[in-house]
Amino acid sequence: MDLLAYFSSLNPMNFVTSLPGNIAQGLIWGIMALGVFITFRLLDFADLTVDGSFATGGAVTVVLIVSGVPTPLALVIAVVSGLLAGFATGLLHTLLGIPGILAGILTQISLWSVNLLILGGANRALNVDKYPLIVSLRNIPTSILAALIFSAVLVALLYWYFGTEQGSAIRVTGSNPHMAKAQGINIDIMKVLALSLSNGLVALSGGLMSQYQGFADIKMGQGAIVIGLAAVIIGEVLGDAMIGRRMNFAVRLGFVTLGGVVYYLVIGLVMWLRMPTDLLKLLTAVIVAIFLAVPYLKKKSKSSFAFAQKRSARKHA
Amino acid sequence: MKQKIAALFLASFMALSMASCGTSGSSSGSSSAQSQGQSSKAEEEESYTIGICQLVQHEALDAATQGFRDALTEKLGDKVVFDEKNASNDSAVCSVICNQFVSSNVDLIMANATAALQAAQTASNKIPVLGTSVTDYGTALGISDWTGTVGTNVSGTSDLAPLEDQAKMLQEFFPDAKNVGVFYCSAEPNSKYQSKVITEYLTQMGYTCKDYTFSDSNDVQSAITLAASESDVIYLPTDNTVASNTGIIDSVCRPAKVPIIAGEEGICKGTGVATLSISYYDLGYVTGEMAYDILVNGADPSVMPVQYAPNVTKKYNPVICGELGITPPEGYEAIVVE
Repeated sequence: MDLLAYFSSLNPMNFVTSLPGNIAQGLIWGIMALGVFITFRLLDFADLTVDGSFATGGAVTVVLIVSGVPTPLALVIAVVSGLLAGFATGLLHTLLGIPGILAGILTQISLWSVNLLILGGANRALNVDKYPLIVSLRNIPTSILAALIFSAVLVALLYWYFGTEQGSAIRVTGSNPHMAKAQGINIDIMKVLALSLSNGLVALSGGLMSQYQGFADIKMGQGAIVIGLAAVIIGEVLGDAMIGRRMNFAVRLGFVTLGGVVYYLVIGLVMWLRMPTDLLKLLTAVIVAIFLAVPYLKKKSKSSFAFAQKRSARKHA
Repeated sequence: MKQKIAALFLASFMALSMASCGTSGSSSGSSSAQSQGQSSKAEEEESYTIGICQLVQHEALDAATQGFRDALTEKLGDKVVFDEKNASNDSAVCSVICNQFVSSNVDLIMANATAALQAAQTASNKIPVLGTSVTDYGTALGISDWTGTVGTNVSGTSDLAPLEDQAKMLQEFFPDAKNVGVFYCSAEPNSKYQSKVITEYLTQMGYTCKDYTFSDSNDVQSAITLAASESDVIYLPTDNTVASNTGIIDSVCRPAKVPIIAGEEGICKGTGVATLSISYYDLGYVTGEMAYDILVNGADPSVMPVQYAPNVTKKYNPVICGELGITPPEGYEAIVVE
């Protein structure tokens, strides 16, 4: 009886009409996922700086736009601030020999203070009525278009870059650092480069996000690494399921962005479901887990070992 | 076959989102005919749908939401439907929530806490937005010459307890103290604002004020130990993280015999000597009354000034006062401490 009332109170149109907003937000986070992809997959480095550099990008963008700097220039400077954050992590790791995860954490902690100084407080508003913004919750169709353009350009740029000699050197450093070193590649420089690039992208995403939501908050980056990793892995799983072995690098990058969109669709779905609001994070995790588990379980059930098991069971039955 | 299913799925998904993109695009367009159509629809409607976006699960915010709901349920009974959502302290989720409210065309949005208010204001300049549990609307919305009225579709209530009266209360209790430490979480914008304002008042009264901040719950112990060692009196603003950690603060300050003036009753109950208490429930109730005004009487939010807590009560904590040997002056009510 209660269940019936609950399901009838859900209006599917509400979910459909909220889709564009969730897609826009997902695309913006998809850019951050591209950055996480570079360090996590290509460089094989768990980079926790992103929680800090996301907020740094947002903070720098808001402060600059509010001071009258043109929005595109503000975003460029935000990217530079992300580059510096990644550079710092890289130096901590390569020059001082601090293990990767710790180096990221140290930078993240320092960025908390840096961000507070930049923002001049814990929160800064960016009023969409007063400033020209590229993306905004107020105007979703334009935001989706802008985010799509950004994503497409970035995927193309990254595809080109990681095909160049330097980009390939970064990939090799992540894949087999000893071999890379033996080939004469300076793996320290490659690591610093990759970290800087990755955090530059994350800061760009932070800048777009702060425009989209209309404010920058000191806590806005908290949990960003989790979202980034989830998006990367969802993208990979989806890519494997849909395209399989024929996936090239550009398509992989595209799927990473799609992973971000899917993650935000899941959040939108959980919100729409009107479950007790305390359960938001648990439900999001459960739905993402199901998402990731289904292809794996399907693959396992179809694997040759499973067939062999069934065949011998039938023979001996 | 699998490819075709996948392709079909993607195509229908895109088509669906483009379709809804079209409708939401036209509804967020700024034609006056559109808004006229919307308001007449609201008048004819049988019931009002109100979206409540709360930033985080928290005693004070929960009380404000409850007061809001009670006020509207009393006045409208069955004719009001609430869509209550909680962002679980993730400010990006506030945008998801407000986007959903806007795309499902709610009649009013109630935003509980600063980040929720900012997301709601960005989401729509047509749907009336009422904020609550926000201390300063000027800084929250980036308005430089704050007059008390936002002037757009946004209005609401502020939980700013009269800081000048709190400073006077501190002076009443501790006229001979020299150093006042203001202790708060650096991640809360409202706390920094309160610190700034009360420092001005206290400095005028002759106290030397210093800020002691911490970034999250893990740092509370070390930060409060430093603050207690350097201050004669400590002031705690209405800071959510402080409110959740009164136990730690009390365990440091009571043995050190450093008295605390608290910004609200919950904090005072845990660790303070005295406070000017506002009721978040009452604040929510006033917000509910404002909502009724807008929905039924057609009041215009752009001319509604931000309202404050209706009643302020002087309260003291008898247990802590007893231990520190402080006798409260006339006119203070005792807080019941279990």
